[in-house]
Amino acid sequence: MSRPRVGYAGMTHLGLCSAIAAASKGFATLGFDTDAALVARLEPGNLPVVEPGLDDLLRANRARMVCSADPARLQDCDLVYVAPDVPTDDNGGSDLAGLDRLLELVLANTRPDAVVVVLSQVPPGYTRARQRAGRLLYYQVETLVFGRAAERATKPERFIVGLPDPARPLPAALGDFLAAFDCPILPMRCESAELSKISINCCLVASVTVANTLAELCERIGADWAEIAPALRLDRRIGAHSYLAPGLGLAGGNLERDLATVLHISQEHGTDASVIRAFVGNSAHRRDWPLRTLHELVLSREPHARIGVLGLAYKENTHSVKNSPALALIRNLTPWTLQVFDPVVPASAAPHPNATGAASALDAAGGVDALAIMTPWPQFRELACADLARVMRGRLVLDPYRVLDAGKAKAAGLDYRTLGVA
Amino acid sequence: MHALTHYNTQPAKPARAVVIGAGGMVGSSIVRELANSDIPTLALTRKDVDLLGAGGSAQLKSKLSTDDAVVFVSAVAPAKTAAQLMANLRMAEAALAAFAAVPPAHLLYISSDAVYADDANPVSEHSSVAPSTIHGMMHAAREFMFRSEYRGPFAALRPTLIYGARDPHSGYGPNRFRRQAAKGEPVTIFGAGEEKRDHVAVEDVARLAVLILLHRSAGALNAVTGVATSFRDIADIVARQYQLPAQVKSVSRPGPRPHLLHRFFDITQCLKAFPEFHFEPLEQGIVRVHREVLG
Repeated sequence: MSRPRVGYAGMTHLGLCSAIAAASKGFATLGFDTDAALVARLEPGNLPVVEPGLDDLLRANRARMVCSADPARLQDCDLVYVAPDVPTDDNGGSDLAGLDRLLELVLANTRPDAVVVVLSQVPPGYTRARQRAGRLLYYQVETLVFGRAAERATKPERFIVGLPDPARPLPAALGDFLAAFDCPILPMRCESAELSKISINCCLVASVTVANTLAELCERIGADWAEIAPALRLDRRIGAHSYLAPGLGLAGGNLERDLATVLHISQEHGTDASVIRAFVGNSAHRRDWPLRTLHELVLSREPHARIGVLGLAYKENTHSVKNSPALALIRNLTPWTLQVFDPVVPASAAPHPNATGAASALDAAGGVDALAIMTPWPQFRELACADLARVMRGRLVLDPYRVLDAGKAKAAGLDYRTLGVA
Repeated sequence: MHALTHYNTQPAKPARAVVIGAGGMVGSSIVRELANSDIPTLALTRKDVDLLGAGGSAQLKSKLSTDDAVVFVSAVAPAKTAAQLMANLRMAEAALAAFAAVPPAHLLYISSDAVYADDANPVSEHSSVAPSTIHGMMHAAREFMFRSEYRGPFAALRPTLIYGARDPHSGYGPNRFRRQAAKGEPVTIFGAGEEKRDHVAVEDVARLAVLILLHRSAGALNAVTGVATSFRDIADIVARQYQLPAQVKSVSRPGPRPHLLHRFFDITQCLKAFPEFHFEPLEQGIVRVHREVLG
């Protein structure tokens, strides 16, 4: 058959990045969303998400990509991915109502021979429960990484596809489309594919939790996790790309969602998930490291402290503040005065009655008793420690992600604190 | 129980505080702290209300008002036997009967960190309540009784090992060490005194109790400093307070080394509940108590 025409329904982070990646592989691509205002914004190429390389990728492939709020346009598609971001509550529970509505709309407006693939993150059992006679409904694992979405969408490591019957071949439109990405394709039953996604995230959380647990121990016994992690990465059983950087617990919402899903399903089926509860507990514990350290070193001694906070996003290169450690910290600094700066997120996102937005990272450090670098934005690496020491009133710098050079910070007279070392 | 939440987002004095068990070390400290905060207070000792007596419940009821904030700190101590456990539960039962007739606006129970499982480390308010002693079981049971039958905002403050100038007991730790040194005797530690524990000044427990009343808080809060110190280090701190430093002497343990070797606390919930409250560091507290005792 000729190259399939591909549609993406739901133009939020996942759908948008995936659609642009499809266009970049030479496929005529439709970006569909029920939100006409969003579509109107997308049509001239204004992206509502911050992702390195994504704007350029869209510009280069603009001719092959059409955005529309008209569901009738879905009739032209041979393959439609249903890919809205699925919102989560504070406990990581998914709200699937929006996904269900969009899936119904897509099924009602596509040809019966069109292949429909759920790309959103769903709990095991979702895809099979929505099978219907005469339709081809599949599931595919998404491996979007905020801040690296364009790269991940254009150069996936593999495709994991869930089929109602894995003994049957992939439909041609889906097979041809996936083949264009030149990576392994792993077809499996729906439940396995849905649980694969969760399994991947549990492995990542396990690595991060090991790093966080042992980094905290390093802080007490004179070891340095930065010396240990490279040794682990050279162990083939652990791997060069393993998640071993200590951090402030889990953030962003997706990993937390999968842990909540495993806890929920294991409770329903009576399986042991105590390790998952331990992951959740450790994440909450490490998230509050900046709060505890600030209290210990400054707030317990300085009742009128002024605190600078660099970064509000939950990680670099994203506008998302979902479960952001910065916001978690700021929420608990109510009695004190704050100066905040984030390259993308406005200061108004800070949940604080007395926080002012600074014009730059260095401005946010001006006159503060302590500075907390809460998001490892690349531009923060350009801060000169001597400049910080000059403009700050106090000496304490909390740098959990090692954005600054510890040696230079100490040489500038700063009281430099980070994760994984005393 | 969940971690502490505040019904009053801005502190507001209760119409009156009623302290049941005002004669003890903790109760009297809370009464003093309430006075420092200019909160009208009714201090009840066993002489005023005998919760184990026949008319205890009626006595208490006659003294209560529905806009009171009640601090329940009364206990038969120690609670080591079944009879002592039951006596303590009967006291709570009698108080609950009075609260059913005249429900106070807020109830704070002074509990204990003994409610937590021995293997919880570091302990936080989210740790499992699984007491390993009758004393811990008594406090856990009373918390459950109050929480299930009192319908208003209920808080449990769970102090760890308490020290202070007026401590009537001479439990192993700062209080006993001070008394030994004051008598010119060696300060005695068991074995190497390596067990690390958290010790909190009674004044800090009282300050937290008053903060809970001011915020009309509900939930659990540990009254702990977040710093665990070995008994050896505490003995050395106490010994240094004397011009002729006291000798610190190791004696053999009365029994096997305790199963609970070290106990650390995570005080993050306290930092969130009362960000401007900070605990007195142990050495500073020991020095202060020493000066207070000397007058």
